[in-house]
Amino acid sequence: MSLRNPGAADAAQPVTAIPYRAAPARASRTGRRRPSMAPYLFSAPAIILYVIFMLIPLAYAVWISFTAYRLEGGGILGTKVQVFVGLENYFSVFSNSELLVSFGRMAVYGVIAVPLTLGLALLFALLLDVPAVRAKTFSRTAIFVPYAVPGIVAALMWGFMYLPATSPFSYITQAIGLGPIPFLNNPGLYGSLANIAIWGGTGFNMIIIYTSLRGIPAELYESARLDGASELQIALQIKVPLVRAALTLTAIFALIGTLQLYAEPTTLQPLTTTITSTWAPLMTIYQQAFATDDLPGAAAGSTVLALGTVIVSAVVLWISNRRTAASAR
Amino acid sequence: MRKRSLMGFAAVAVLAVALSGCAAGDGASASDKTVSLKIWGWTAKTQQVVDTWNKTHPSVQVKYTDAGGGNDSAAKLRTATRAGNAPDIALVEYQTLPSLVTAGVASDITKYTKGIQDKFTEGTWAQTTFDGKVYGIPQDVGPMAFTYRQDLFQKYGFGAPKTWDEFASDARVIHEADPGAYIASMPPTEFGSWAGLATQAGATWWSVKDGKWTVGIADEASLKVADFFQKLSDDGVILTEPLLTPQYDKSLNDGKILSWPSAVWAPGVLASVTPGTAGKWAMAPLPAWKAGETTVPFQGGSALVVTKNSKHPQQAAEFAAWYNASKAGLEGMINKQALYPAAIAGQKLASSQKPPALMPQQTDFYKLAATISKTAKPITWGPDVDVASTTFTDRLSKAINNHTAWRDAFTATQKAVVADMKKNGFKVTNK
Amino acid sequence: MLPTIILIAGAVYCLIPVAWVFVAATKSRAQLFSTFTFAPGTGLIDNLRGLFTYNGGQFGQWALNSLLYAGVGALLSTFVSTMIGYALAKYRFRGQNVIFYGILAGVLIPGITLAIPQYLLLSAVGLAGSVWSVLLPSIISPFGIYLSRVYAGSAIPQETIEAARIDAAGEWRIFQSVAIPMLLPGMVTVFLLQFVGIWNNFLLPYVMLSDQSQYPLTVGLFTLLSKGSSSPALYSLAITGAAVSIIPLVALVLFLQRFWRLDLISGGIKG
Repeated sequence: MSLRNPGAADAAQPVTAIPYRAAPARASRTGRRRPSMAPYLFSAPAIILYVIFMLIPLAYAVWISFTAYRLEGGGILGTKVQVFVGLENYFSVFSNSELLVSFGRMAVYGVIAVPLTLGLALLFALLLDVPAVRAKTFSRTAIFVPYAVPGIVAALMWGFMYLPATSPFSYITQAIGLGPIPFLNNPGLYGSLANIAIWGGTGFNMIIIYTSLRGIPAELYESARLDGASELQIALQIKVPLVRAALTLTAIFALIGTLQLYAEPTTLQPLTTTITSTWAPLMTIYQQAFATDDLPGAAAGSTVLALGTVIVSAVVLWISNRRTAASAR
Repeated sequence: MRKRSLMGFAAVAVLAVALSGCAAGDGASASDKTVSLKIWGWTAKTQQVVDTWNKTHPSVQVKYTDAGGGNDSAAKLRTATRAGNAPDIALVEYQTLPSLVTAGVASDITKYTKGIQDKFTEGTWAQTTFDGKVYGIPQDVGPMAFTYRQDLFQKYGFGAPKTWDEFASDARVIHEADPGAYIASMPPTEFGSWAGLATQAGATWWSVKDGKWTVGIADEASLKVADFFQKLSDDGVILTEPLLTPQYDKSLNDGKILSWPSAVWAPGVLASVTPGTAGKWAMAPLPAWKAGETTVPFQGGSALVVTKNSKHPQQAAEFAAWYNASKAGLEGMINKQALYPAAIAGQKLASSQKPPALMPQQTDFYKLAATISKTAKPITWGPDVDVASTTFTDRLSKAINNHTAWRDAFTATQKAVVADMKKNGFKVTNK
Repeated sequence: MLPTIILIAGAVYCLIPVAWVFVAATKSRAQLFSTFTFAPGTGLIDNLRGLFTYNGGQFGQWALNSLLYAGVGALLSTFVSTMIGYALAKYRFRGQNVIFYGILAGVLIPGITLAIPQYLLLSAVGLAGSVWSVLLPSIISPFGIYLSRVYAGSAIPQETIEAARIDAAGEWRIFQSVAIPMLLPGMVTVFLLQFVGIWNNFLLPYVMLSDQSQYPLTVGLFTLLSKGSSSPALYSLAITGAAVSIIPLVALVLFLQRFWRLDLISGGIKG
């Protein structure tokens, strides 16, 4: 729903719809055919799986969010049972000051990570598209490699790169008389976390933008070249506007990725005392679900987060749609 | 087209049947003759000990799964129990056991353990007994001890510190002589270690009386411990970095961290991190808060529990008893896994062992361990240790990074724990 | 010249940590924390032997499992996504938009939210802990469906379908013999995205599986790194395992890179 972008998405397929009226001609020939069933049958496997593995679990999670595990039975320990508690977990979410602060930290992280990831991806894509550039295959491939590295491995790698005793960067700064680089202390921590996301995400976004660029007919800028425009001018004035759609989409994914910030801080957490267990909102949720046995609290938190994501995505799309509409005018 | 799609649906239906068939097959595999049990754990070479059992007990076959470290497997156990899929037997840390009892994971095995109780010291056995009911069989224990770089301590002209005051003055000497070197790291992430130190100083973090809990995380003794180490940290003579990270491991290898106040299992851990420094280490009793006091708490260690999901609790309990209290099981635990057993017989068996690889020169290692263990006392853990440990670590980390009072972290933890216990329905007395 | 330098700098930035994993994999346990980060060691053979003999050769099993989950999961996902994508792009039917946007909203739900309820529900039908519990939830991919729809919309001219209809071909037959060949590049892209996504997924298999011999590589490596207080992380093994596990995936991605049609990702909102 939130990714709904009717103006754009539907405009891309002006001729996609198969009107039913195409069918009767055939139906009359085969007699018993009912083509109107076909799209439903094609969609059925996906819908069934979607309902079983996403909708029902989601509904279940929402239901859990209205319950709590409470103690029952005598003795000093007793046994916890699930009871209905109404909106209590939601009150806890909104009165949890730690959680609210963690949204702020997430925002700082996002302000660094999102523009840099997209900016670098755009930069590299544009550079790859410059005819005179050499070693293209090598660069493109190398920049794409992090995409294939699982998060747990990436964290292991960057952990070693950041810790003063094992960091090659700190090794250099220490050798020239400066101290180790405080990768894991505030405020450097934000940069270090964003770096992991940038490292992992630039290549993928670069490929999206690059393939969009390749899809642009070369004639579009041949004439500009003949007119003596520099590659920089061509890039900024012709290419960037043409890949705007790709940029919007990558921006939305980057934003959603930011709201689901979890892997980077979690994997660096054991290495430093700067990252608490509630550093990012999703970490609080994970901690409730897995460490402190408060699955209902976690369910309430993630329901709020998912709704927040919907709102943020909707706002971004609304803004970009308005801007697109304005520039089209 | 219709035919095709019908076939498609038929395929889905067949798949569904096949799936449920699989599930049914799994359940049925526990046939009348052979009982098959599942066990979750995480310690190295558990498989080898399980293999020994399987060879000698053809009618009860056990399958081992490494479910990750203590906290991870506790979370998995809770979820699996709610879903009815928990293994029959699980290794759990003493400090997570109460929460696993309330979550309905561990079952009451009192009636299966009548015969083996006297194989353990009272203190050890108490770690798995609540309200007179037995919920687990102790596997290994960690009486607290002081593992240190004997060679470097000697270089500076002293042996292992006998008291914490000596520890503090040694810390200053070491750091003064080599500004890159520290006597130890005491990070906020080591909740169990802090609980141990506070207990050693006389605090009681949780206790039960007349069915009511008392929480003493902010006891005067605890706060004294907080102030003591904060002073050392403020003066920059101890570290507060997390343990066993690449950073820490490198510092150990470089001889920049000189000791680890923890428990008797420390040499086994360090041996795999810094094999190059073997022979330079030694173990001594933990420094005391008052000269001459020898009683220390247990830190770490774990027990085998039988889960409520188990359909064969008796066989499961038999296996747990075999693993933790029989000669064959204890031999495996000592020789293969290098654990320090909880059972008295195991500790005796261990005393004839060669010392750990990290300190081959310390021939009295296991004798010393047994001596420490004899008077060691257990810590009573509460049902929400998870809340306590996350709050504690977060608050103490913040205090360290913001240079505020460490004792506030203890007070905040106390508050959070009491609030959480009350919310969950425990009876808590105010102190 | 400058563009080339910037690009190569970017490439070096992306390769540094990867290079480190391979260097670190050559270090013995003693060397890992005692030599300079980028100094090669002498323990590669021992590390590899240790890795492949760990727990009776379990690492190889994990690799095979990853291949199974990612391979089969991505294949099924591709077909399911292609079918519905084709239907959404080439037919007009009641509920179409509800279905499309409803599924698309799925990308907004954090995986953590779904993992435990999925586990509880699969347990209720006795599937948790089985291979299916990892495979089945991986099949549904809102993003894959989105891509398939966009690609089908742009790659198959309506006239082609109409022509096939006039030839009295059944709808399934049109899909099979007319649409699929035209959709292949898009399908390769969806397959790859899903393959990498499932291969790198940690949380779902971690929550679902409790039998070590069914673990994929990510969960396996995690168990090497996450140990209790009395057993240290097996850094050497985990690093060597990480290095080995990166190789096939990088090779696959590089090999299939040329077939990628990632521009189709943005194709859908090209104004």
